[in-house]
Amino acid sequence: MRATRHALIVRLGALLAAAVPAVAGEPVLHVYTWADYMKPELVQRFEKENRCRVIIDTFDSNEAMYAKLKAGATGYDLLFPSSYMVKIMNDQGMLQPVDHAKLPNVKKNVDPEYLKIAIDKEMHHSVPYMLTITGMAYLESRVENFQPSWTQFDRPDLAGRMTLLNDMRETVGAALKFLGYSLNTKDEKQLEEARDVVIRWKKNLAKFENEQYKTGLASGEFLLVHGYSGDILQVQEENEDIQFAVPAEGTSISCDDMVIPQEAKETDLAHRFINYLHDPEVAAENTEFIAYLCPNAASYEYLSEETRENPVLFPPPEVRSKCEVIDDLGADNVKYTKVWDLIKAAE
Amino acid sequence: MKKSRLPFYTTLLVLAFFYLPIAVLILNSFNASRFSSAWEGFSLVWYRKLVTQREILHALTNTLVIAFTATAASVVLGTTAAFALHRFGTRLQRLHYVLIYTPLVVPEILMGMSLLLFFVAIGVKLGLFTIFLAHVTFCISYVAMVVLARLQDFDFSIVEAAQDLGAGWWVTLWRVLLPLLAPGIAAGALLAFTLSIDDFVISFFVAGPGSTTLPIRIYSMIKHGSPPLINALSTILLVLTFALVWVSQRLVKEKP
Repeated sequence: MRATRHALIVRLGALLAAAVPAVAGEPVLHVYTWADYMKPELVQRFEKENRCRVIIDTFDSNEAMYAKLKAGATGYDLLFPSSYMVKIMNDQGMLQPVDHAKLPNVKKNVDPEYLKIAIDKEMHHSVPYMLTITGMAYLESRVENFQPSWTQFDRPDLAGRMTLLNDMRETVGAALKFLGYSLNTKDEKQLEEARDVVIRWKKNLAKFENEQYKTGLASGEFLLVHGYSGDILQVQEENEDIQFAVPAEGTSISCDDMVIPQEAKETDLAHRFINYLHDPEVAAENTEFIAYLCPNAASYEYLSEETRENPVLFPPPEVRSKCEVIDDLGADNVKYTKVWDLIKAAE
Repeated sequence: MKKSRLPFYTTLLVLAFFYLPIAVLILNSFNASRFSSAWEGFSLVWYRKLVTQREILHALTNTLVIAFTATAASVVLGTTAAFALHRFGTRLQRLHYVLIYTPLVVPEILMGMSLLLFFVAIGVKLGLFTIFLAHVTFCISYVAMVVLARLQDFDFSIVEAAQDLGAGWWVTLWRVLLPLLAPGIAAGALLAFTLSIDDFVISFFVAGPGSTTLPIRIYSMIKHGSPPLINALSTILLVLTFALVWVSQRLVKEKP
């Protein structure tokens, strides 16, 4: 009884300490990121080792974060936007180049296989943090002769029980990959072909869906869905019948990067934090915790066997080499919008 | 003639439409299943998990600090504004009324964005203080409206009687005016408090580093966070809000 009460007091104390703003004198690192996107114990270890405080604020979309910073909000030292947003921000001069002299872990450990397809290949102003992959999930006991390929959306026996993402770039991109093209193509001929493929698939779909496919799959309403690996891993905990597959023709990979905004004050501490997150053991622990993959090659050996054999995080190398990162196409985005409108309007 | 049952059923339907989603949310917060697609048994695990989350507690502290201070400031300012509006029917006061009324109808996103641009332009550092200012801005209007409603049927001859009997303005204020207006002021304060606790849109724009509030936190948890934690958090927030609204309604109804 005494012991539990003591534990309770200690815990309450810790909570209060956490709630109170930083102690004067200690440097404070302000991080702006997605919620639940870092293992809390790792942050606490960094605070102790560097005698600093890390304050984490969260945003819910790249666009909201961008709108706020663009309007003049300052005070953040380290941001975690997705790659396409990093490009937009860098084009507008909102980011600082990173100093690799302060990041020994990064050059040494970041997976060169990923860098080949990254938008910022030289890691000039960004360092990759976590990867996710878009793929297909299905109910193993209900889908016979499953093939890891986009051709599954042509199967008449699954008609009315499948969903594709309600996302222009993802779904048109899937059709482009199916046809063997780049999912960042600007060729209108290729886009027209892709349009026809998606319209053909659409006849077999229950609907285009971004959110409900998770519950739909868990409850058996849908048999095969197009979805994000992070989401699928969550649903797999509920229903063991769910399997994830990466289409052999390739698919899209997306990455959230770490970037330092132009107005950052604690740039030195921000660099130290980036370097710390790319320490192999730290990166492995983080990957295990949030179930996204930190593209840190040296960390892979520290991962549990279960994680290393998970196709959601580690698709086979020959498939992975066909995957691409969705790039912001600037003025050429209109071509995709036009194709997508026609797809949506098609009967 | 038999009374029609239609109004009764319509009311039932409308109430179900209002409250069923909330009931489902509350139920799911006790669901052991992480994905809430099926009921897997009663559990308090999400509530237990909630109290170990350092960032959520930090956000809760921020929210409460702002709610209390913003309520205090807006009650003082709102009540005095209501007095001015009630006592003086000048053209200036009519303009004042429009100005007080406007924040009630201006879209939140417009208010958030314009406040952010304003703070950046005059060089105020974004943080708890700017959220406080923003919340006071819209809370004043609500407090003023509630107190003004209370003043409509206030008998000012009581004030004159007190002065006739030798009370100074200080005594009149403390012993006569405030006690009689207390229910209205308290109702306004509770309304301001709940509005401040709930606000997301305006807070998101004017928040600075380290000043994430609970609604901002909940909203950003939708992408990577776990849904049941949000359910649990929302349930707590709901219970708090309902309790406060209930108390404020009682205060408004009560005759002095």
